[in-house]
Amino acid sequence: MKLEELLHHTLAIHAPWHIARVRNDLGKNQIDIWVSREAQRSGWFFTARSTPEQGRESVWRHINIGNARCIVHAVIPGEADSADLQWLGETDQPFTRAFARQIAGMFMQGVSFASVCALLDLPVADLWKFKHRLDNGKSGLSGPGSASDSISARIPAPNDPIWEELLSGNLQLDIRILSLKLLLTKLREQFAIISDGEVRTLKAHELQRYFTRHEKMLGHELAQLAQN
Amino acid sequence: MKTQQELMSVSRAAELINAGKYLSIAGDEAALRQLPQGHWIGGTIPYFMAAEGGTVSREQVFVSEVSGFAVPPQLRFYDSATLPQICRNAPDNGYSILIIPAFSATHASFAQNAPNFEEMYMKPLIGWIAGIHLDDLGKTTPKVVLGSTGEFSESDAVVMDVPLPPEKFAQIDIVNLFHPGTGAGIRFQNNGFSAGDCLIGGQVGNLADYLLDKQIDTRLPLVADYSGAMINVSIKSIDREARRVEFYAPVFPGPEYRFAAPVTDYVTAFQAALPRSGLDISFSCNCILNFLNSQLEGKRTGEVTGPMTFGEIGYQLLNQTLVYLTVTE
Repeated sequence: MKLEELLHHTLAIHAPWHIARVRNDLGKNQIDIWVSREAQRSGWFFTARSTPEQGRESVWRHINIGNARCIVHAVIPGEADSADLQWLGETDQPFTRAFARQIAGMFMQGVSFASVCALLDLPVADLWKFKHRLDNGKSGLSGPGSASDSISARIPAPNDPIWEELLSGNLQLDIRILSLKLLLTKLREQFAIISDGEVRTLKAHELQRYFTRHEKMLGHELAQLAQN
Repeated sequence: MKTQQELMSVSRAAELINAGKYLSIAGDEAALRQLPQGHWIGGTIPYFMAAEGGTVSREQVFVSEVSGFAVPPQLRFYDSATLPQICRNAPDNGYSILIIPAFSATHASFAQNAPNFEEMYMKPLIGWIAGIHLDDLGKTTPKVVLGSTGEFSESDAVVMDVPLPPEKFAQIDIVNLFHPGTGAGIRFQNNGFSAGDCLIGGQVGNLADYLLDKQIDTRLPLVADYSGAMINVSIKSIDREARRVEFYAPVFPGPEYRFAAPVTDYVTAFQAALPRSGLDISFSCNCILNFLNSQLEGKRTGEVTGPMTFGEIGYQLLNQTLVYLTVTE
């Protein structure tokens, strides 16, 4: 794979869109890229001719490139063209869709607000802005991620103590599904020797994630959880 | 529509391949080498449970058709270095069929490490360990085939990833006739394909000595209870001098094992334990040890058919167990 292809692949930028320009001198540990619609390929790195989009250029924080922040500059194209573009963000939002999903995924895995900022080199103000809009229903996370990982009302939240009860063996279930029998056995063995609270929390999240993914076939087991 | 799973001639299998069907095929190496390239994966084995009963055939092949997918399945090899990515690479909704050649490094690595693969148990993984005719032991090696290129391998695993539409989901289940007997509980300190010293009934002991002293029938596997799933480890041999026991799958330090209670009539017990009649089984396989120990040649085990293998894969490596896959809406 050529370097140009690798960067486009890493940042989820696919034809007819391409990276028209790159700068690494606009901020510390920061790479700025300009994305536009490709008119004609010349074969040179980043030198394909671009068709300028009409409108105001927007700027979003995209998924990091290694330890560097990645800033996307682009003009929002027409609605029909932009629905599935993960390198694009919403108007007045600080993050691209891909970065928003990455952050939301970390929250769903139980990573704290402060840890998300530290791990992603993210300004607190930007994260507050994003979270506020999410909490108020002004932004969504729809995209090509796994629909089966969405939150369900039937499944206790990841931080519900019921998961640690299951992992410690204090709560027993009659299990009909082979994969859950095998997974729970493995997680219980691990849980029994883990003393670190955060690692135990991660195990609880792993089990909750299994239930979320397999909700359709876990009616028997979820009915037992509901009684506890 | 019932999934097509049956023992057939090489020419009939070739017709299905040439018709563009996606297939999983089991057969003797010479038979598999006659098949054309196409959308299929395969593994070597000449033992089958056919609709007519247990069969040994070097001429016929057992074909399981893969259908109902959302987009065309992906076929590829994995070596022992890349195999830990198998579940991560599997479709978000679907299943994967995995075939590994027996006695290979990939086989050993999968057996010992599969429970810790990324995304293990999150996505359905079913398959089997390819083998050979027992008369050929020492003369040839088990192999798997990537039908899309016609390439055979005695070292790599072959996989078919099958994406399903959102309204369907795949489920893997097992039928294991063995249950822990009334003997002492046995625990191991390390995982591995062999063991000597261990804890027997809470006391330090030696497994080889225990087997010989108690005159335990080595056709009975060690059985551990995995939250209600009975998981077997079959005995391969006893080395009296080294005081070690060799297994067909690794033992692990976590669970407590016991030797299985005897099964007096395998065929009757098996038919009683089978999933309900009419279930559309997309793929299934059973163990050659069940075939041999229970003398299944010529005997039927209900509607469930498939290759009789050197190991079964229901997420992780299993022994003396029937594994089957169903796809439900």
